[in-house]
Amino acid sequence: MICTEDLTFEIGKFRLNAVSIEMLRNEYFVLLGPPGSGKSIFLECLCGLRKVASGRILFDGADITYDEPRKRNIGYVPQDYALFPHLTVQQNIAFGLRAVGNSSKLAAFRANETAEMLGIGHLLERSVLGLSGGEKQRTALARALVMEPRVLLLDEPVSALDEATRQSICSMLRRVQKDLKLTVMHVSHNLEEAFSVADRAAILNNGRVEQTGSLDELLRKCRNEFVARFMRCENIFTGAVAESLPDSDACTVRISKINLAVPGRREGTVQFIIRPEDVLIEVADGNNGGENRFEVSISRWRDFGSHVRVELKGSLDLVAHVSHAVFRKIMAAQTAKLAAILPRENIHVLE
Amino acid sequence: MRRGNAPNRGIKDRFFTGFCAFMLAVFVAFILTLIIADVLYVDKAAVLKVIGSHDIRHALWMSIWTSVLTTFISLLFAVPLGYILSRYRFPAHAVIDAIIDLPIIFPPLVAGLTLLVFFSQTGLGKWIQEDLGLEFWFQPKGIVLCQFLVAASYAIRSVKTAFDDIDRRFENVALTLGCTQCASFMRVSLPLAANGIIAGGILTWARAFGLFGPLLIFVGSFRGRTEVLSTTIFLEQSVGNLEVALAVALMMILVALAAIITIRVVGGRVQLRL
Repeated sequence: MICTEDLTFEIGKFRLNAVSIEMLRNEYFVLLGPPGSGKSIFLECLCGLRKVASGRILFDGADITYDEPRKRNIGYVPQDYALFPHLTVQQNIAFGLRAVGNSSKLAAFRANETAEMLGIGHLLERSVLGLSGGEKQRTALARALVMEPRVLLLDEPVSALDEATRQSICSMLRRVQKDLKLTVMHVSHNLEEAFSVADRAAILNNGRVEQTGSLDELLRKCRNEFVARFMRCENIFTGAVAESLPDSDACTVRISKINLAVPGRREGTVQFIIRPEDVLIEVADGNNGGENRFEVSISRWRDFGSHVRVELKGSLDLVAHVSHAVFRKIMAAQTAKLAAILPRENIHVLE
Repeated sequence: MRRGNAPNRGIKDRFFTGFCAFMLAVFVAFILTLIIADVLYVDKAAVLKVIGSHDIRHALWMSIWTSVLTTFISLLFAVPLGYILSRYRFPAHAVIDAIIDLPIIFPPLVAGLTLLVFFSQTGLGKWIQEDLGLEFWFQPKGIVLCQFLVAASYAIRSVKTAFDDIDRRFENVALTLGCTQCASFMRVSLPLAANGIIAGGILTWARAFGLFGPLLIFVGSFRGRTEVLSTTIFLEQSVGNLEVALAVALMMILVALAAIITIRVVGGRVQLRL
C-alpha cells in the first residue's frame, strides 16, 4: 500500500537514517519510539511537509516522494491538533472541502455528516477555543476524514488526554478505521495505546527502525536490547555458552552461578530475555532438579491491579508478573523458599 | 480592577499591583493634563478662524488623504514582506531585517534630506522626476513618499511579529487539506494575523499623520498645495499666531482620537466575523 524505501532526512544534528517501513492496506500501524526518536518528522516526510534528502515514498507502487502535500491525499492530524482558532467546529471540518472548490452547501453537509459519525454533531456552531481535549481531537480527526484520505497519519493523537478519554478515543479510532476500511499510521510513545489499536508496529530509535512486526513479535522476539527495554522486558541476561545439549537444538549458558538451557546451538557470549509474565513461580519442595529451575525468594512485590509484579532474589535476580491467584497461593504457603522456572521455549536470544 | 480570576494575594503582591496601577494613572494623567491645558488655553475666536479657514481645511484634507494612502501602500508592502521575513531564513536575512528597521531609527530630518539629495542630485532621481514624469519634489505625491519612507517600517515590523506568533503548523495542516501555499496564507495566516495588521496600520497612520520634519525639507509647506496640519502648526507659531497653532493642534488631536477609536471598533468587528 504505502511504503518508504531508505528514507533519509536531516535537520541539525538529527538524522532519519534509511527508514524503510511498509504499511499494508486497511492496516492500523503504530510507530513507536521514545521522544526525540524522529516519529513526528517521519510523519511530516510522509505527508510532504518536509523534503527528504534521499530514498523514496511509494503509494501503490507510484513514487510520491516529491509530490506536493495537497496532491498526496494523505490525512494528517498533528500532535496538538492545530485546529484553526478563527473558525467554528463546522468551518474547521469543512475547511479542506472548501479549499478544493466544493460549494459551501456541500461542504457543510459533509462536515455535518462526518461530525455526526464522530459524535460531535452538537458542537458544529461552537468556536474551537472552548472545546475539551477529546472534542478537539474528534474535530481534528473529522477535518482529516472528511477529505476521504487514502492514508491517515495521527501524530500522538491521545497523548494530551486523560486516561478515560484516551481509552474512548482509542476505541473510536479503531472502530472508525474498521468501518471506513482506512489505512492508519498512529505515532505514539505509549505501549498501552499501541496494544489497544495496533495490527502491527515498528519501533524507531534515534532515526532508525529497530524492528517491525506484530506486537507479539515485538514483545517476545525482540531483535535487540533496545527493543526489549522499550517493550518493558526487565529480564535481560548475558552469559557465556557452556556446552551444546545433545539430541536437541539448544545449549546451556553459564550465568551467575547456574547453567540455563537456551534454544539454539550457539557459541561465545549470548544475550537473552524472558518476559516477566513467562516466568513461573512455585513453592520449593526440596527438589531442585528440572531444567531452568532454581531457588528464589521474594524481595519486593507490588500489586498493579491486573497482575502482581514480584522481584525475585536467588541464583539469578529476576522479575515475574503473576496472577493474583498464583500470588495468593505463594503467600499462603508461608515459606520463603520458592522456585523459579524459566521454560526454555519462552527464552528468546537477542541478535 | 477585574479580579474574578485573580489568586489570593499577599501584601507584597498588592503593593506590586498598586505600583503598576499608580504608574498607569500617572501616565494617563500626564497626557490628559496636557490636552486639558491646551483646551483651557485655546481661544474661541482662533478655533472659529481655523474652522472657517479654507487653507486650513485644505491642510486637514491633505493630512487625512496622504496619511490614509500611505497606510494603504505601507500595508501592501508590509504583508508580503512581514510574511517572507517571518517564514523564511535566507542569506543576509539579518542584514535585510536591519535595513527595514533603519527608517525607524532615522532622525526624521535625515529622511527628508535623503529624499532631497536622491531626487535633486542623482541620475536615477532626476530620471524619475524629469523623464518618467513622476514628480515628488515639492508635490503632494512627495508627502506620501516622505510618510511612506518614515512610517512603512512600523507596519512591516508589526505584521512580521503577527506572523511570527502564528504557529506554522496551521499552514502545514492547510497544505495537507488541499490548499496551495497561497491559499493557506489567505485562508489561515492572513485572518489570524488580522490584529497585528490592524495594529501596524494604526501605527503607520499615526506616524504618517503627524509627520513634519522631512516634509518641510522635501516638499515645503505651500499653502493650498503641500501644506498639512503639522506644517500649519509650525508656520502659524513661527509667525506668532500661537492661538491658531493651538487650535490646529487640538484639531489634530481630535482627528487622531476619532481615527484610532474607529479603527479599533471596526477592527474588532472584523476580527469577530473572521
